[in-house]
Amino acid sequence: MRLTRLLGIAVDDLKQNRKHFLLASIGIVVGIAAFTFFLALGGGVRKVVLGEIFPLDKIEVIPRSFDIDVSVLRVPLATEIIDEAKVEALEAIPNVEAVYPKMKLTIPSMVYGGQKLFGNNLRAELIADGVEPVLVSEDVDGEYPFEDFEAGVEGFNGWQSLPSATMCDTDEQCTETHGETYYCWGVDELATWERQVKRAKQRKKEPPPKPVDNPRCRQYIPIIVSNHIVELYNGSVRRAHGFPKINPDSAVGFKFDLTFGASMVEASAKDRTLSAKGMLVGFSDTAINLGMTMPVGYIRRLNVEFGDEKTAGIYHSAVLQIRSKDDVAGVAAAVKDMQLDVTDTGAEEAALLITIFMMVFGFVSIVIVGIAAVNIMHVFFMLVYERQQEIGIMRALGASRRDIRRIILSEAAVVGALAGSVGVAVAIGAGRLFDWVSERYIPEFPYKPHTYFEFHPALLFAAFGFAIAFCVVGAFFPATRAARTDPARVLTGQ
Amino acid sequence: MIRLRGVRKSYTTGKVVNEVLRGVDVDIGEGEFVAIVGRSGSGKTTLLNILGALDSEYEGSVEVDGRQLDSLDDVGISDYRNRNIGFIFQSFYLMEHMSCLENVALPAVFARGSESMTREAALARGREVMEQVELADKCDALPNTLSGGQKQRVAIARALFNRPRLMICDEPTGNLDASTAHAILDLFRALNEDQGITLIIVTHDDMISKACKRVVRIHDGKVVEGAGEFATRERPELDPTEDGGDDTPAPTEAAAPSQEAQP
Repeated sequence: MRLTRLLGIAVDDLKQNRKHFLLASIGIVVGIAAFTFFLALGGGVRKVVLGEIFPLDKIEVIPRSFDIDVSVLRVPLATEIIDEAKVEALEAIPNVEAVYPKMKLTIPSMVYGGQKLFGNNLRAELIADGVEPVLVSEDVDGEYPFEDFEAGVEGFNGWQSLPSATMCDTDEQCTETHGETYYCWGVDELATWERQVKRAKQRKKEPPPKPVDNPRCRQYIPIIVSNHIVELYNGSVRRAHGFPKINPDSAVGFKFDLTFGASMVEASAKDRTLSAKGMLVGFSDTAINLGMTMPVGYIRRLNVEFGDEKTAGIYHSAVLQIRSKDDVAGVAAAVKDMQLDVTDTGAEEAALLITIFMMVFGFVSIVIVGIAAVNIMHVFFMLVYERQQEIGIMRALGASRRDIRRIILSEAAVVGALAGSVGVAVAIGAGRLFDWVSERYIPEFPYKPHTYFEFHPALLFAAFGFAIAFCVVGAFFPATRAARTDPARVLTGQ
Repeated sequence: MIRLRGVRKSYTTGKVVNEVLRGVDVDIGEGEFVAIVGRSGSGKTTLLNILGALDSEYEGSVEVDGRQLDSLDDVGISDYRNRNIGFIFQSFYLMEHMSCLENVALPAVFARGSESMTREAALARGREVMEQVELADKCDALPNTLSGGQKQRVAIARALFNRPRLMICDEPTGNLDASTAHAILDLFRALNEDQGITLIIVTHDDMISKACKRVVRIHDGKVVEGAGEFATRERPELDPTEDGGDDTPAPTEAAAPSQEAQP
């Protein structure tokens, strides 16, 4: 029997018994809608949690520390380090795609600025981190590059030997000559120096050395910050201080002053300071959670400037890019064998919780669909009984048992397809409504997603397929009974 | 054409076995017009079901054109019914939700292999047979808008759809008034004489049985009259003159078995 004729008969029969099927399919609609809704919700939450809050295809490795607690203090007894040799060993771990060492700024520093963003200039202690630019290349691909513009020069002030370090009087000169990422370094420094010389003369002290003979054009240090900071700021901090909400896209290009060696804590301040200007060039989850992240070359030069040459090759952590999320456990075990630790981000617990959530609600939905399938079975049994003579005449006209079974199963498949489509549509509609309510009525919070759902095509097809499969399974026994209909008995009463 | 030998059929209800057919031997030839008569419960409808391949659970042999029906599987039997047999029942059994034309073309849905045809071809053939039964104007009507006689004509059109060689009719006039029954009988006669279709009719209606060229009388599960010449010759113990006490009158001269009806 041709498929089109089979479906034609099935659709005709459905039209005939539409009330029965409508009632029977309500369970399937509810079950499939619940199944799709909860799995899409789980998928959406998982995407935010594991994609943005705890990226799972990267792990951060830190040196293992052996500490003892003495009163309020934790005293380190021994600490492993991550040096170039360790980085190479990490790269050799199977399924590790790349290793990106990170270096912390080990001197007190300060950041100043923000009038353009907050209405006032703010001064704050700076926590800074350095990463290989390639680690964040996917995140930072806007108009401003994230790279070490002063790579290869000697010392933090070696930049003055660069060809682009032309003499200047104003920032505009540098911008016009070299581009938007340049400013005139030294104008403020010379003004400060002159004030310091004047004060020294008044106090009859030795004046400090002149920082530079002439101001020169220099590139801003490219800075990236974590999305966490933006989320925390927009979700919490700004409310406490009455600051405006920041649009991350328009904050790119924001400039500020950096002073290295200075601190609000006077005892921590170094006897000399170095200054530069930074420019926000983008956002990345790889950036330090609280603080600023710049190309590792700048951090290395600063640490050497205030420390010694050895610090140039010692990293404070390393980010391992792993081929697949499934390989994370294996790589983590290999890392621990190297006497290093993996930072606990809570990702595994979060992933587990989400998986449990999805399993529980998925199971509940499947149970609903299963009960609906039993209902479908009852309806089909009843209809097969009512339609005995119809089935009998079809047998008399040449329908085989297989044809009858296929007709009944086709009807079930059509019911499943219709109920599945409605169920999927209801789930998508409910999801959109949920998103709209959230957008409109739920206050901002960190990582508040644009949508809570991920209606992946595979999920929709699976839900649709489940609906058909459950209906067909539910109709299987009635179809078998229908196929066994004895035409002689039902047509002639024998 | 059809040859039944030693056909037995029984039904079991609990521990009670009711033997409905007790060794039936019948031959029905090509183009015959046969009435099967007998009392209620004599086994005539059971015999009709076996002849029409609706019932395949019996003992004995049923041979059609030299081929044993019980050698066919379900698909083979279904195909045989589809290609060769047209059924007409007392209760018409039309699909109420389909138009008359769709009802008539229903056998095309179950046609296999070379018999299968497109929907358009099936509907065209449906119109053809609707014209043949003089209901061309009722193609689009639903069965519940028709009279009993018209419904039976639609059922006859459906039976004719696949140009069957054999038509099996179970009390075809049972639900019709006398004049309508007469018109249906005329149609049967025309189908038999003009198209050479073999007609086997189970009936209580005297008018029908008298019009048939041969009457097979069945009594208490046995054929007591009109078994056919070969069947009688092979089973000489059969007494064609035995009076089965039937409530159906004996066949008239005109209804005696025809010579050309023998296989």
